[in-house]
Amino acid sequence: MALLDSRHGDTAEGLAGLRYDGSMLLKRLFRYRAGRLFAFVLAASLGPWAHATPPVARQPVSQAAPAARPVTNAASAAQQASDAEDSGNLSASARRIYDVGRPRLLQVRTLLRDQDSQASVGSGSLVGPDGLILTNYHVVSQVALEPQRYRLSFQTVDGVTGALQLIAFDVVHDLALVRMASPPATIANRGVFEFRPAATPLAQGERIFSLGNPLDVGFAVVEGTYNGLVERSFLPQILFSGSLNPGMSGGPVLDDKGHIVGVNVATRRDGQQISFLVPAEFAQALIASGAHAKPITTSVETTMAAQLMQHQQQLTQRFIALPWRETKHAHYSVPVPQEDFMRCWGSSSPSDSKGLSFERSDCQMDTAIFINESLRTGDMSVRHEVYDGSKLGALRYAQEAGESFRNEGMGRRTHDLTAPKCREDFVDSGGLTMRTVMCLRAYRHLPGLYDVAVLSQSVDAKTEGVQGRFDARGVSFQNALLLARHYLQGFAWKR
Amino acid sequence: METLALIETLDRDGRPCQVLRVSQWPVRIGRAIDCDLVLDDPHVAAHHATLFWRADAVHVEPASTVNGVRLGKAVVAPFSTPPLPPSRLLTLGATTLRVRLAGDALAPEQRFVDLHRHERRHGVTLAVLIVLAALWHGFDQWLATVPGTPSYTLAWTYLGVPAALMLWCVAWAIGSMLFQHRFAFWPHLRVALTWLLLGTFAKVVAGQLAFALSMPLIDKAGRIVFIFAVALMIWHHLELLVPRLRRSFGIAIGSAVVVGGGLLLVARSVQQEPLVGDLYLGTISLPGVRLVKPVSADAFVKSAAPLEKTLSRWAKPGDDDDEGSGGDDD
Repeated sequence: MALLDSRHGDTAEGLAGLRYDGSMLLKRLFRYRAGRLFAFVLAASLGPWAHATPPVARQPVSQAAPAARPVTNAASAAQQASDAEDSGNLSASARRIYDVGRPRLLQVRTLLRDQDSQASVGSGSLVGPDGLILTNYHVVSQVALEPQRYRLSFQTVDGVTGALQLIAFDVVHDLALVRMASPPATIANRGVFEFRPAATPLAQGERIFSLGNPLDVGFAVVEGTYNGLVERSFLPQILFSGSLNPGMSGGPVLDDKGHIVGVNVATRRDGQQISFLVPAEFAQALIASGAHAKPITTSVETTMAAQLMQHQQQLTQRFIALPWRETKHAHYSVPVPQEDFMRCWGSSSPSDSKGLSFERSDCQMDTAIFINESLRTGDMSVRHEVYDGSKLGALRYAQEAGESFRNEGMGRRTHDLTAPKCREDFVDSGGLTMRTVMCLRAYRHLPGLYDVAVLSQSVDAKTEGVQGRFDARGVSFQNALLLARHYLQGFAWKR
Repeated sequence: METLALIETLDRDGRPCQVLRVSQWPVRIGRAIDCDLVLDDPHVAAHHATLFWRADAVHVEPASTVNGVRLGKAVVAPFSTPPLPPSRLLTLGATTLRVRLAGDALAPEQRFVDLHRHERRHGVTLAVLIVLAALWHGFDQWLATVPGTPSYTLAWTYLGVPAALMLWCVAWAIGSMLFQHRFAFWPHLRVALTWLLLGTFAKVVAGQLAFALSMPLIDKAGRIVFIFAVALMIWHHLELLVPRLRRSFGIAIGSAVVVGGGLLLVARSVQQEPLVGDLYLGTISLPGVRLVKPVSADAFVKSAAPLEKTLSRWAKPGDDDDEGSGGDDD
C-alpha cells in the first residue's frame, strides 16, 4: 500500500514521486510471498523508466495530465459501477462536486525550513473556522518529527498561499489537523466541508468523489465507488474503487451532496483502482478533541507514544483473546492466528524436492501505522514452517534446520530502534521441546514501545520439526512478554 | 708456512664465498691485482685498506677511499688504525669480511638436521592430518547437500577448499624459497592443517556443547579459540620462514590480534551488538545431544524481564546518537 503524499528527491518533482512509489511498491509486495517475482519485475521496469525519462521532456505531459487522466479513470470506474446513467450525467455530477469543493480544497506542502523547496506534498480540506484544515499525519510527519528542518505551507485552488501550524494528530488513523497561521480575511467566505451524518451510512456501490492534487500536477476530482470497509483490517479503512495517486493524501472524499465520507490515505500498487480511505468518523473525533488546541511547538513523541500505547493495548487484548486455529499437521499443533484481522498465505516445497520438504504459512496484518519513511509499526505477523527431513536423514536434517534457524534476521540498530537484545533457552510447550529465542528492540524516540520477535524451532525429533516466528511491532514490554508467552503456548506435540 | 688467520668474504646470507689464508701480516685489500686480497666490489678502491698485526690484535688502516671502512656501524676515521671488534667483522664498500685467527676457540659441532629426513619423519603426521582434513571436509560438504546431488557438482564444491589451501601453502613456500632457499610446501601444509583442524574442531565441539547445555557462552568461546588458532597458524608459517625472528613475529601477531580485536569490540559495542559471535546460538543438533531440561513458556518469558533495563538504557537519546551519519541501515 503506497501512501499518497508525493515526496520528492533531488531531481524534478513528480518524477521522484514515481520513483518513490517504486520503492514503496517493492516494500509492500515483499510481504506477500506470491507477489515476490512480480515485485522484482515491476521494480526493475519502473526504476530505469523513472530515471531514463528526461525531466524536461516530462514537463508538458505533466501539465496536460490533470485534465486528461482523472477523467479517464473516473469514466472507466463509473462504467463498471453503473450502466444506467450516461456519461454526460456522470461528469456533470463530478463537476458539481468539484465546484462545491473547490474553494475549500488545498494543497499541503512540506518545505525545507530555510528555503522554498518542497520536500513532500499532500492535500487537505477546510473543515473548521479560522482556517482549520484536515489532512493525513503522513503528509505532515516530517514537520511533526523534525520541526527544526521543515515547515508547512498551503496553496488553495485559486492560488492563495500561506503558512500552516500543526495543532493535533492521530498517528494511528493517519490523520492530522493544521491551521493557517494567519488566515486571510476572506476565509469565512470559503465555508467549510460538512461531514456525512453517521445515521445515513453509504451503501456499497455508491458513487463517491475524491479530491486532491495528484503528483503535484494540479487539483483533480476522481470518481469512484464506495465498497465498504476493507475486510480483515484491524484499523477500519474504506475500500475505494478509484484511482488515487501520490499527492492526493489528506484530500477529502465526498458523497454526492458534497459531504465528507473519508480521507484519501493509501493505494495498492499491485492492483487496479484499489484505494483506501480513512473513515470520516475518526476525522470527526480528531476535530472534536483537537480543533481548539494550540499549535504544537514541543516534541510530538510523547503524544505519539501515548496514542501508539493505546493502540497496542487494544491490539494485544484482541489478539490474545482469539484462540489459535486448529492445524491439520499429524504431530504438531502450531499457533496459526484466526484471520479476523490477519491474512495468511501458504506455500510449500515442490513435491519432487530431494531435500527438506516444508509447508509454510505466513500471516500478517495489512495495516501498519506510518511513523516516518523508515518506520511502520503497530502490527503483527506470525509464520511457521513444518519440516519433513525424512529424505535427508538425521544429521543433514539437523544441519538444514540449524541453517534455517540461524539465518533469521532480528534487525540492527537504526535511527528509530535499538539493536535487538535476546533471551534464549529450551522451552517446553504441550510436550514439544523447542529451541527458542526471543529478541526485543526498544524504540529510541517513542519511550515504552518495543518490537518483539520470538523464534522457535522444535528439537525433539530426528528428521522432522516445526519452526515458527512471531513478530509484534510497537508494543509495551509487558505486552511483548504476554504475546510471546501466548505464542509459545500455542505449540504442542499431538499424541 | 704457518696459517696465522683466515679472511673470509661473506655473501648476503653471511656465508663465506672467498677465503684467503694469511701467513704473514700486513694484508693489503683492494681491487688492484697487486693486493693480497682482491675484491671485485665496484665500491672498493684500488687500495682500500690494510690489515696488520700489533699488540696481539688485528688492526685496520683505511687507505684514501670514497666509501671508507666500517666496523659494524662505526665508520673508521681517516688516518686512525683501530683494532677489529670482537666479531672481527669489517665492511669495505659493500663487502663484508670476517677475520678468523688461528687461536680462536671454535663453536662446538652442531647436529646436522637433514630437512628431507626431518620432513619424512613428520610424513606420518602430515598424512594423518591430510586424511583427517579430507574426511572432515567431505563430511561437511555432505551435510550441506541434499541426496541425489550429481557427483560432478559435489566434486566441484569439494575441490574448492583444498585448492585454496594449496594456493595458501604455495604462497608460503615461495616465501621460504626467498629466505630459506628451499620450497618448503609440506612443512607449511602441516602448519596450516594442524591449526585449521584444531580451530574447526574447537568451534564445532563448542557449538554442540553450547546446544547440549544451553550455554551460548561456550559457542562464543569456541569462536575465540578459532581466531587464536588462525593467529597461531600464521605465526608458525612466519616462524618457518625466518626462525630467528620467532619472538618478533609472536609479538607482532599478538599485538595485531589485541589491537584488531579491541577495535572490533569497540565497534560492536557502539552498534549494541554482542561482542563475540551471533545474536543467538544458531546450532540445532540431534535430539539426543540436548542434556538440559526445557523450561516452561511462562518461565522462559519471565526470565526475559531483565532485558527491559538494558534496552531502555540503549534507547536513551544523547551520547551516541547517530543523527545524519547514515545510521539507518534498514
